[in-house]
Amino acid sequence: MTELENLKKEWEAIFSCMGCGECGFAINPMVGIDLTCPVKEALGERAFEIYFSRGRMSVLKSILEGSIPLSKKLAEYIYQCTECGNCKETCHQSDENVVLNVSKWIDHCKVWNALRKDLIEAGFAPLERHATLIEWMSNIHMKNPYGEEQLKKFEWISAFPNIKEKSDLIFFGGCTMPLRQEKTLKNMMKILQVAGIEFAITKDEWCCGSIGLRIGENVEDIIRHNVDLIEKMGAKTVFTACAGCYRTLKKDYPELLGEELPFEVKHITEVLIELLNNNQIPFQHEEGEKLKVTYHDPCHLGRHMDLYEIPREVIMKIPGIQLIEMKRNRNHAWCCGAGGGVKSQFPELAVEISKERLKEAVKAGANLLTTSCPFCIGNLNDAYNEMGPEIKEKIRLLDIIDLIASKL
Amino acid sequence: MSDVYQKLEKIVSKEFISNDLYVRHAYSRNVNPVLKGVPDIVIRPNDAKEISEILKIANEENLSVIPRGGGCCEWGGSIPDGDTGILLDMKRMNNIINLDQDNLIVTTEAGISWGALNEYLSQFGLYTGSLGPGSGLTASIGGGLSHHSVGAGGCAKYGACTNQLVSLEVVLPTGDIIETGSQANKFSKFPFNRFGNGPDLAGLFCGDNGIYGVKTRVSLKVFPRPPFAAYKTFLLPRKDVEVASQIMMDIRRKGIDIYDTIYIPQVIVATSAPLGLFPMWDHLKKKRGILFYTIEANSDIELTERVKQLDEIFLSKKTEVLGPEISDGNFAKWQYENPWHLYHNLWGIVPASEPFTAECFTPINMLPDLFRDTEAWEAENRENMNQISNITGNITILSGSGPIALVDGNNVEYTVGFNTSRSYYDGKNYKIIDDLNLKLWKSLLIRMFKHGVQYYMFGTLPSSLMVEIGAYSVEYYNLLKSIKETIDPNFILSRGKFNLKGDGIHD
Repeated sequence: MTELENLKKEWEAIFSCMGCGECGFAINPMVGIDLTCPVKEALGERAFEIYFSRGRMSVLKSILEGSIPLSKKLAEYIYQCTECGNCKETCHQSDENVVLNVSKWIDHCKVWNALRKDLIEAGFAPLERHATLIEWMSNIHMKNPYGEEQLKKFEWISAFPNIKEKSDLIFFGGCTMPLRQEKTLKNMMKILQVAGIEFAITKDEWCCGSIGLRIGENVEDIIRHNVDLIEKMGAKTVFTACAGCYRTLKKDYPELLGEELPFEVKHITEVLIELLNNNQIPFQHEEGEKLKVTYHDPCHLGRHMDLYEIPREVIMKIPGIQLIEMKRNRNHAWCCGAGGGVKSQFPELAVEISKERLKEAVKAGANLLTTSCPFCIGNLNDAYNEMGPEIKEKIRLLDIIDLIASKL
Repeated sequence: MSDVYQKLEKIVSKEFISNDLYVRHAYSRNVNPVLKGVPDIVIRPNDAKEISEILKIANEENLSVIPRGGGCCEWGGSIPDGDTGILLDMKRMNNIINLDQDNLIVTTEAGISWGALNEYLSQFGLYTGSLGPGSGLTASIGGGLSHHSVGAGGCAKYGACTNQLVSLEVVLPTGDIIETGSQANKFSKFPFNRFGNGPDLAGLFCGDNGIYGVKTRVSLKVFPRPPFAAYKTFLLPRKDVEVASQIMMDIRRKGIDIYDTIYIPQVIVATSAPLGLFPMWDHLKKKRGILFYTIEANSDIELTERVKQLDEIFLSKKTEVLGPEISDGNFAKWQYENPWHLYHNLWGIVPASEPFTAECFTPINMLPDLFRDTEAWEAENRENMNQISNITGNITILSGSGPIALVDGNNVEYTVGFNTSRSYYDGKNYKIIDDLNLKLWKSLLIRMFKHGVQYYMFGTLPSSLMVEIGAYSVEYYNLLKSIKETIDPNFILSRGKFNLKGDGIHD
């Protein structure tokens, strides 16, 4: 492969950027925008323009014009991006009446990903910690980015002997929840069992490949393995409780394979809303003051997959809860800071970004912040643990699954 | 690391200075497709004192310095002239210092954006009146004042953003720090008025394009946002430019305190339909020019009366009012509710394309002549335009104007230019595209200069061209240059603009 092959494919996007700077500085309360780039804001006064989209686009123009080269130094800047896509949302402020045509040509996350691929091709990436994750994902005894033994991912299954080996409905467990948030997984089982849902799971499931894809690695072998496996199990529908797996299975797999998947992919909230609509989840009766709950849109569910309302519908059907919105929500939601490989390579930066989100939730008046992504919950929790009583005394964090389970 | 870098680093600390290749290239462009200048050093200063120290070193070392606010300007306004010098990224200086609610004056650091300032003011029911440049609310207050900017909203009522200026803190190129207006009197407790205490020295820095000083602190008049507003959009009859001009003049003659009136020429309405830019106008059978108004008022009665007066003016010219909703084509409602992208959707209408454009002030009654001459210019230059289209296969290059806003006085902001392709196209650099674009752009600018219009966001290219063709009188230009020599003897600040170091003036 020649140098810059991936970036060159994105030339129209890169040279369609006019350099207005809204990806860095936009504030427009009328459309719910209050700044754009979580990395730039977390870096605060140290944030030179290389840390947000406009500056990066300018650098990419120089690279494509042949003025400057790729390098390790560039990789260190470029991987300080969560690929949250808020720059794209702000850039694309089109609506059905007035259209910004650049919204048709610029997909920011695709550009960042193309650059990452070229940095890897040129030998300037992956960065050190990313390289370790990739190694673990490739290790036949692990196949996960946490460096854990493959079998550990499935230890939780022993508590649920009724889980089938074949079914129309398959659960794709992913890595984060079974290896780091087993309690939430068990709560999910509690909900699904009480709702009478049966499904199958396989212990041959590999990491979906999300982190590899975000870093810019080729994960075709992983994709092919998982798709073949699920197909052999006779699945018509696969569901996952992880926003990253959901985006990867539903969006990346068919795009990279160049074909439609032989099964449907659903997020757990899509499964839950069906159960709630059919009254299959029996909640305890609740009276008294309602808990003020706010919902954090995971980037991989919201901006990347346009799944904004279903999680909110789920929350609103839980008794004893009043859903309130943070100032920045839905397509302009502030990122938790964990995505795009930032959590693994730049953990302090990831936590700084999450702190901002927690402050926003408290400012909105919420007593509980919920979300539907184990990666977001993990990073928000890390930030929570570093914060003082002004946050901890006012708000708690729970996955939507745990929130529902607490009301059964 | 060079000695000079170390000296500068001592002023701002190492976190706020960089000579890294990628940081420098991140600041090497603004909103134009051809000009590029890579600074040697980028600094994010914290206050006027630091800037003063930086400028003193720049004088000692003969280094050029270019201030950059939001970086939303065109034609070299906020990038170095060539690959050289220090770029001051002013966006770190974004604090609001004081809101004087008794006297309705806000004092802020100059790097804050118009969007951020207006969001803050909205909590108090206030706004800046003129909302700054049409380049977007991300533009900085300092940059807006440096360009006499208009376009983001409210400029028919409040005029250019410089009209709101009360006082300025400016670091002169020598490093001296001055305050203007009421603050020229050191016994003044707080900023309250621009004029008095002698000549209006603040005016020297309004629209100076950054050549006379670095704006660091700004006091602006603010206004209560009226609680009532109405907005209507009209389809113009044939001869849309003449009719639009007549309506704007009638509004001024009748003294109606209109907030905004903006004219979208027929060429945009017609050509944007196949490009999908304004679906709200897809239903229009006749794709003619559009004119809209927005009016604010303090009571329903006042609003109703003003709407009646405006409707009479508009409808007497055989215009056709569009429905009240945005989806009916009511662009006025869209613009008032989202004063943001009025101009942006003319960028990138096809991939990797941009308009070559700049905004100028002109009397309303000159608009029809300017339009006709722009059309004539296009016909004369069609061959060069086709050369570019033939290389890229992009849509035919068209010239004309973007949205035309009524500004203060009996003037409009005329946004003349042509859409074209960039020189990088599908993996190749076509130098000939840059050459042709520049040739065309200079020729159009000269044509407009010779109509006597006033450009205000000059950058290096239009300002120098105006000097080169002898548009300034010798006496005026000599005064401009003498002032520069007095306060910037080494010509370190915003080099390249107005050709101040060259001999570009011709009698």
